[in-house]
Amino acid sequence: MRAKGIPRARPGAGARAGDGFLAGAMMVARPPVELALTAALRRAARVRPEVFDRLGRFRDAAFLIAPSDLPVAFRLTPRAAGGRVTVVRRGDPEPCAARISGPLVELLGLFDGSLDADAAFFGRRIDVDGDTGAVVALHNALEAADMSLAELLGLPRFGRRLADLGLDAMLRAARRARPAEG
Amino acid sequence: MGSIELVCPAGSPAMLRAAVEAGADSVYCGLRDETNARNFPGLNFSPAELTEATAWAHGRRAKVLVAINTFARAGETDAWMASVDAAVAAGADAIIAADLAVLAYAHEAHSSLRLHLSVQAAANSADAIAFYAEAYGVRRVVLPRVLSAPEIAALIRETSVEIEAFVFGGLCVMAEGRCALSSYATGRSPNLSGVCSPPEAVTFDRSNGQLTPRLAGLAIDRLGDGEPAGYPTLCKGRFEADGAPGYLFEDPVSLNAMGLLKALATAGVRAVKIEGRQRGKAYVARVAAAFRSAIDALDRGEDTLPYERLLSDLAEGGRETAGAYRKTWR
Repeated sequence: MRAKGIPRARPGAGARAGDGFLAGAMMVARPPVELALTAALRRAARVRPEVFDRLGRFRDAAFLIAPSDLPVAFRLTPRAAGGRVTVVRRGDPEPCAARISGPLVELLGLFDGSLDADAAFFGRRIDVDGDTGAVVALHNALEAADMSLAELLGLPRFGRRLADLGLDAMLRAARRARPAEG
Repeated sequence: MGSIELVCPAGSPAMLRAAVEAGADSVYCGLRDETNARNFPGLNFSPAELTEATAWAHGRRAKVLVAINTFARAGETDAWMASVDAAVAAGADAIIAADLAVLAYAHEAHSSLRLHLSVQAAANSADAIAFYAEAYGVRRVVLPRVLSAPEIAALIRETSVEIEAFVFGGLCVMAEGRCALSSYATGRSPNLSGVCSPPEAVTFDRSNGQLTPRLAGLAIDRLGDGEPAGYPTLCKGRFEADGAPGYLFEDPVSLNAMGLLKALATAGVRAVKIEGRQRGKAYVARVAAAFRSAIDALDRGEDTLPYERLLSDLAEGGRETAGAYRKTWR
């Protein structure tokens, strides 16, 4: 889907001083991350096709999930069985329907539904750019999916319960450690 | 259930489960089309999801109320009638409607179906309520958010119809069911299309450290770095008049009338309602749990004060109000 409101970024746009090495290292290490996340996405499409139906006309749209505290971003194209997640540099020039950015802990909370997206928006903890309809559809689809972080990250079934407990504790600690906002 | 019924929103089956598990007595939801006033992309229930979710809720002694509360277009009422039929087939405990054609169809085609009058009908007098009760057998009225607590008490003395009042969440301009602001700017409105500020018409521009929300290209606010935001609706817009910027229609604030629960219960309000089908599981779980605790405290003869500040961080624009329930401007 062609980007509606996000112009093509200049190569290197959004980069911060000191990000270069870390971004380079993360880009080198990206293949297993991409494989795992793409496999999890496609598994979700097989098991929960109704969740993808909620995306409607945004099924084939590209979403850029951009943690503000990482030098890389995640490019998500749901497209059900052909879905794909790739790791890209923050200033990725490829067009996308919408970009959602904010601290990683907030974004993870939005994905597993443990944080209220509207409150995060009111408090300016997350930003959205591009087609707001695509963002709303993705949010509502994720809400309805009701998937835990371990499921979203494609972790093996046998360790999910334990992994979710650990991830939840880590996220709570990370949120408490962040300065108060909004 | 306590002395007062807690009615919570659900935009998805997952949100419905979260609401009930957090203490909701009833959950209201809508089908995935223009027949309900939260017709946003990806939100709401398919008929099959509604059937499954209703059975799940009934298994936990919770009720499901289906909002079919937009106004049917003349000559094209099939979608609204189909939604009424789908709600009945799903086993819904009631439908919430505002349009006369929808109410008439539901009353005639499904005589045992319980009818609640939506806030969209803006029935704020005993005479208006009596009309809906006599003509369509309406059993409960959701009051528009224009009355003070004493005015609600006076109204209840004049009617035998159950009264439901909003106590938390987003506020509309006080012309519910009659607002044309969204339709003026975008051609789509909550009344007819089920969407206020349809997301495809909303954009956010950033320049010089400021965020400018736009609706159909119209700038509706300009926010400084980190300044709390509201919903991108014209009614919450900040405009310049007589050389000074200000919120001309209403401030971007959220309703929180938990402190008035006792007054509302004493007045005879049968049910209290939480706004926000578009929000999500995290929101409804927290709000339902807080109001459940407050209602249970009231029933034990205790104060609700310990629960009144639990939800402040969820508020639009970072601020809360008791709205018209306390008409401090008078």
